[in-house]
Amino acid sequence: MKRMKQTKYIGRSREGFSRAAVLLSRLMGLFLLVMGWNSCTDFVEVEPPKNVLVSGTVFDDPATVESALANIYYRIREQGMVSGNEGMTLLMGVYADELDYYGFDTGYAGFYNHTVLGGNDVVLAWWSHAYNLIYAANDILIGVMDSSVLTTEEKNRYMGQALFVRAYMHGLLANLFGDIPYITTTDYRINNEVSRMPLLEVYGMMVKDLNDAMVLLDGLEQNTSERVLPDKDVAKALLARTYLYMEEWELAVSLSSELLEAYDLEPDVEHVFLRTSSETLWQLKPGDSPRNTQEANQLVIQFIPGQSYALTNVLLEAFEPGDLRYVHWVGSQSNTDSTVTLYYAHKYKALFSEMESLEYPILFRLAEQYLIRAEARAHIGNLSGSQEDINALRNRAGLSNTMATTQDGLMDAIVQERRVELFAELGHRWFDLKRTESAGQVLGPLKVNWRASDVLLPIPENELEANPNLAPQNEGY
Amino acid sequence: MKKLSYCLDRLRLYLFFYLLLAFQVCGQLLAMEPSQAIVTGLVTDAQGLPLAGVNIVVESTSRGTITDLDGTFSLEAGSNDVLMFSMLGFKSLTVPIVGRSVVDVQMEEDVTVLGEVVLNAGYYTVSEKERTGNIASVDATVLDKQPVANPLAAMQGHLSGVNIVQSTGVPGGGFSVEVRGRNFINGGADPLFIVDGVPFGSQSLGSSDVSGQLFGGNVSPLNALNPNDIESIEVLKDADATAIYGSRAANGVVLITTKKGRAGRTRFDARFSTTMGRVSHFLDLLDTEQYLELRREGVTHDGFGAYLEDPTFDFVWPDIKSWDNGRYTDWQKELIGGTAYRNNAQLSVSGGSGSTQFLASGSYQKETTVFPGDARYQKATVHAQLNHRSDNDRFHFDLSALYAKENNHMPRTDFTYLAYTLEPNAPELYDEEGNLNWEDNSWDNPLAALEETYHAKIGTLNANAILSYAIVPQLELKTSLGFTEYRLDSHRVLPSSARNPGQGFTPQSYSNSTFNGSQRQSWIVEPQLHWKQQWGVLGLSALVGTTFQQQTTQQLVQKGTGYPNNALIGNLSAAETLEVLQDTDSEYNYNAVFGRVNLKVKDRYIVNLTGRRDGSSRFGPGRQFGNFGAVGLAWIFSEEALFQGSSLLSFGKIRGSFGTTGSDNIGDYRFLDTYGVTGLDYNGITVLEPTGVLNPLFGWEENQKLEVAMELGFFADRVLLNSSWYRNRSSNQLIGIPLAATTGFSELIGNFDATVENSGWEFDLQTVNFKGKGFRWSTNFNITIPKNKLVAFEGLENSTFANRYVIGEPLTIVKLYQSLGVDPETGVYQFKDYNGDGEISSLEDRQWIEDFAPGFYGGLGNTIDWGNLTLDVFFQFKKQRAYNALAYGATPGYRGNTSVLLFDRWQEPGDTNPVQSASGGLGFGADTGALQQGSNAAVSDASFIRLRNISLNYRVPTQYDTLDINVYLQGQNLLTFTKYEGPDPEQPLNTQLPVLRQLTLGLQVSF
Repeated sequence: MKRMKQTKYIGRSREGFSRAAVLLSRLMGLFLLVMGWNSCTDFVEVEPPKNVLVSGTVFDDPATVESALANIYYRIREQGMVSGNEGMTLLMGVYADELDYYGFDTGYAGFYNHTVLGGNDVVLAWWSHAYNLIYAANDILIGVMDSSVLTTEEKNRYMGQALFVRAYMHGLLANLFGDIPYITTTDYRINNEVSRMPLLEVYGMMVKDLNDAMVLLDGLEQNTSERVLPDKDVAKALLARTYLYMEEWELAVSLSSELLEAYDLEPDVEHVFLRTSSETLWQLKPGDSPRNTQEANQLVIQFIPGQSYALTNVLLEAFEPGDLRYVHWVGSQSNTDSTVTLYYAHKYKALFSEMESLEYPILFRLAEQYLIRAEARAHIGNLSGSQEDINALRNRAGLSNTMATTQDGLMDAIVQERRVELFAELGHRWFDLKRTESAGQVLGPLKVNWRASDVLLPIPENELEANPNLAPQNEGY
Repeated sequence: MKKLSYCLDRLRLYLFFYLLLAFQVCGQLLAMEPSQAIVTGLVTDAQGLPLAGVNIVVESTSRGTITDLDGTFSLEAGSNDVLMFSMLGFKSLTVPIVGRSVVDVQMEEDVTVLGEVVLNAGYYTVSEKERTGNIASVDATVLDKQPVANPLAAMQGHLSGVNIVQSTGVPGGGFSVEVRGRNFINGGADPLFIVDGVPFGSQSLGSSDVSGQLFGGNVSPLNALNPNDIESIEVLKDADATAIYGSRAANGVVLITTKKGRAGRTRFDARFSTTMGRVSHFLDLLDTEQYLELRREGVTHDGFGAYLEDPTFDFVWPDIKSWDNGRYTDWQKELIGGTAYRNNAQLSVSGGSGSTQFLASGSYQKETTVFPGDARYQKATVHAQLNHRSDNDRFHFDLSALYAKENNHMPRTDFTYLAYTLEPNAPELYDEEGNLNWEDNSWDNPLAALEETYHAKIGTLNANAILSYAIVPQLELKTSLGFTEYRLDSHRVLPSSARNPGQGFTPQSYSNSTFNGSQRQSWIVEPQLHWKQQWGVLGLSALVGTTFQQQTTQQLVQKGTGYPNNALIGNLSAAETLEVLQDTDSEYNYNAVFGRVNLKVKDRYIVNLTGRRDGSSRFGPGRQFGNFGAVGLAWIFSEEALFQGSSLLSFGKIRGSFGTTGSDNIGDYRFLDTYGVTGLDYNGITVLEPTGVLNPLFGWEENQKLEVAMELGFFADRVLLNSSWYRNRSSNQLIGIPLAATTGFSELIGNFDATVENSGWEFDLQTVNFKGKGFRWSTNFNITIPKNKLVAFEGLENSTFANRYVIGEPLTIVKLYQSLGVDPETGVYQFKDYNGDGEISSLEDRQWIEDFAPGFYGGLGNTIDWGNLTLDVFFQFKKQRAYNALAYGATPGYRGNTSVLLFDRWQEPGDTNPVQSASGGLGFGADTGALQQGSNAAVSDASFIRLRNISLNYRVPTQYDTLDINVYLQGQNLLTFTKYEGPDPEQPLNTQLPVLRQLTLGLQVSF
């Protein structure tokens, strides 16, 4: 039992009353001391409760580090911009020309009508969620690095995954918001006052993190056969995409080629989104309920009016006749007297009511790597190589080889191919329109409110308020 | 646990030490004590009839007794002692013994209101006349007249400085209580509740996963208390009264004392009552014709008029095209228009001898709702009191126990919001076969929610034992032992049959139920020494004590999904998958030493010193302890020679107090850097999540209270006026400092260098206006004029609060756009562009400040006794502003019903209507309706005067003296005078059922 020290009264205010209070408290303290009191300090010290682990102990055991990583994947699946619930598939789909929105939810309507404001809840949720996961990744990086218990292999595995997550989340933020802070520490005093980093530097940081991740994850097998954790190849796939966005064509070609050699395209269009698909690089394991994807439940229209968004006519018209992707990946629903028919993305088919686990949400798949290489090859003049890559996807979809032969022609063919291959998948269409600077040309006629500044979402108003260093707000907001 | 037992050993050691010390002191005192002799006597009233239950105390000591049934008494006293006789309703008498062995006295009925009212100040009692602190109280005479289920409801308006708002009219819900305003930026305004000496956890253990849509998760544990079991409720407000509660007293202290048995004949008391309740005010909403007119106009105005005629698009606006355009349903009548019944029965038996008294009572109550369906709330309470004093009056033993069982069956959602917003032409609730009608899956049938039920079982136990022993007449050793347990088991079921069948849900794929099992247990041990001594004109009383308290809380929230069929949905073992949403436990240990010294000179100069040193497990190592204290001074100037014999002024006192209290109301374990265990998993691996940013350095919030008051009595105390001025300053504010999301989190808990000041005036006036044979009219009036101000906030401009608070303004402000009405040319709302950038969107354009704190509030009560009739009329009033109907929708033409005010809209250039042009929500461009909702136009005056309570009691004349029969009619919230057009000015949210208007008929029989 420690003996109590006569702790000094801590007065904040410097006024007279306070001095009186100090005097009074001291008198009282003396009074109590005279009564022979010594306090029971131990009594007011309690053990931590069972529902928490004191942070330091998390990194003393590989099992708890894996639990900390599981948190990240769980949250990517359930919340934020990647998830099927209120993620980019839906919102960037209505923002671009993939989905029409009929409903009255002001969040969706804001995206559909291009009237997103800085106070938009979805924008804030995406931003906060991404940085929360970045914090989680950084905390794991720092904790694992300092751990004296973990083996080198364990450290490499965990740090590699954490670096990948950090790069992935920053990349998504950069594509949506433009210049953003790149966070590499857990110190809130620094992170609370960060400034935005120019987009190119953000890409530079991503490249470094992904290269580091690839080195750390080199030679490490996944513990599971279902490709539900990011590994070296997933880092490579993201790096190839990043190089494409950076217009580093040679580097993009070299990385996508490595992947295309290592993996095979799923031959049957119908099976591309099954959990056993051979072309999946990274998919998220669903939970117990539902056992399948949120995407199917969000997108598949089971009755009219259902969820108030449906594929746009311009997208439906973009499919060539005989395209198996239209046959297998587009569904339709009519009302009882067949006066209305709505079309929906039917890539994922298993609904909540499906009891067997058939499909997982896929974040990276090989088809995208064909399209990355095709585009990069076209840019560096390898036109025949570009044609081959386009044809690989066209032929699988039951279509004949591309007719494009020139660089410009191939570029158009690639945009078209990306549109019908990657529709309703994590906002690919929107990022392609933005990246190729054709958003205005395509969306201008469709969206009354279109402004050139719409290529970026607004920085959440709350965040500008919380950290004035994030100013200025993106143009137009 | 090891630490705990170690500490308990320590506690035993202290007790032993105190006993030793006590005996040592008393040994010395005994040597000085004058000789004692037995004094007996008879106490009678003015008519010479014996008075039972008169309290007799030997003035120099705290010893005493009470008279037996026949009015006789017997006690030990010195020959030079003075005996003090007191009894409620009679004038106190002070009779010197002067050597007599028989002292017979006759007591006069007390005509003054002040009387010898004794107030409970927690660890000690103090007379109304001699108190140095501010203690407001309501007693059973007020509580008994109000047909309410929660004692907080009965206090509304009766106490100055206490602002109580009922958050819902659904039985079993919660209240918000503020004593002298909001002290802390970070919420936490609840005062400390103490029931019969035991701290009573008032925080809800509800889970938003279970009751989120019904009570906002807020289930008041105080619902367990039966207002009829309560003798008095005292609210401690200033430093002098509260500092002895130290770190938990910053928001004031509410002491609830239950009824005790009285010596005398065994009395049986039975009460039965029936209450009918209805929603007191319905909103004026659009009828079908108006609604559809606005809808069509809106869609057309958005540029989609042509599509309205095209059947292909019918599914987009089923209300306009698919549903019967001639149909009208008053959804308010349908969904919240029912009558709620409450039946209440209570039986009690009490009595006892001079040395032992008892009371036992049991009550049962059943309450239904205004909703459709068979929702019901049931409550059974048991209350027992036992008081014993030994023959030599040295040993006292008081035991009290309360147990309540609540059983609540409610739909999972409050129907109020739907009642206000369902389309007036929405389809039939049931089809011809009596099944829920889904109208081709074009709407969500509100009555489906009746299958989605909320069910709660709550058990509350509160027990307290006080043992005291007078070692010598002046010195008393006292120990209070308390135990309280609160157990909440609630669950909510969501069967697939309550969902739109078009979604194809099955019991296997959808049906789920969520269970919340929570409990809180707490024990408290408080050994104390009380010492009282009189030296001539100098009186001294002192006490010192320590507190050991431990509170443990457990909460387990589980969800089962997928059932073979909906009949099995209540049984978790039948669920396909079981998830644990929350499994938490927490321990809060609290340890303190406290004391009081009260010095009284010539019965008119009084100094009261109180203090406490507190330790709390809620703070990190090295930061657990804090000191708190106060000084109170009083001068009863009417005792001075100058005022003696004044026919005007019968009582006069000036008092003042200053001191510090604190608040550790921040939740447990917030100083630990942790990863939280969730019930979630990814790929079979349990998820561990970082819980927040660590700040190990935080400490107590401080609250300095200053008060000056004047208490005056005129015309033999027939007019009593208390006026107080207070100023409380709270600093070292513990708040979640909002962080930029780039830190990974939204806030960091820390002490902020900000000062919040609550100051104000409180006036209490009691008058006996008329007193004659068989007729008496008295009035009570109180008013509070509070002022809340953010005095200092270092670096506010650059902080995250920059756009929320303004230095010099209250914490209760909101910043809004300034509406400039509708542009007569464009028909669109206009706003003041404060920053002149040509756009209305940014924070800088929200510069209009509205304050939602009350400007003043209070109550006015009149009591008229006329023969066997007693009439009480009590008005509550409050001046305040609140969001009006515009805050919930400012553009006409959206889907869903709205206030009829939106019908007065702009239609063509030149119109000067107050509402902008209609829109179906399909328009492009800035949503000016949303801006209007966040503008000053959405705020209006919500002041009200409410006939809170009216009670008419008739005492039926009988030929038996001992038989007492009362018939009463009571009304609650019968009338409200207000200009406010929303649901209820008291609680303006449109998602919660307003407080009901209730009428009660009751019968009381006692013999």
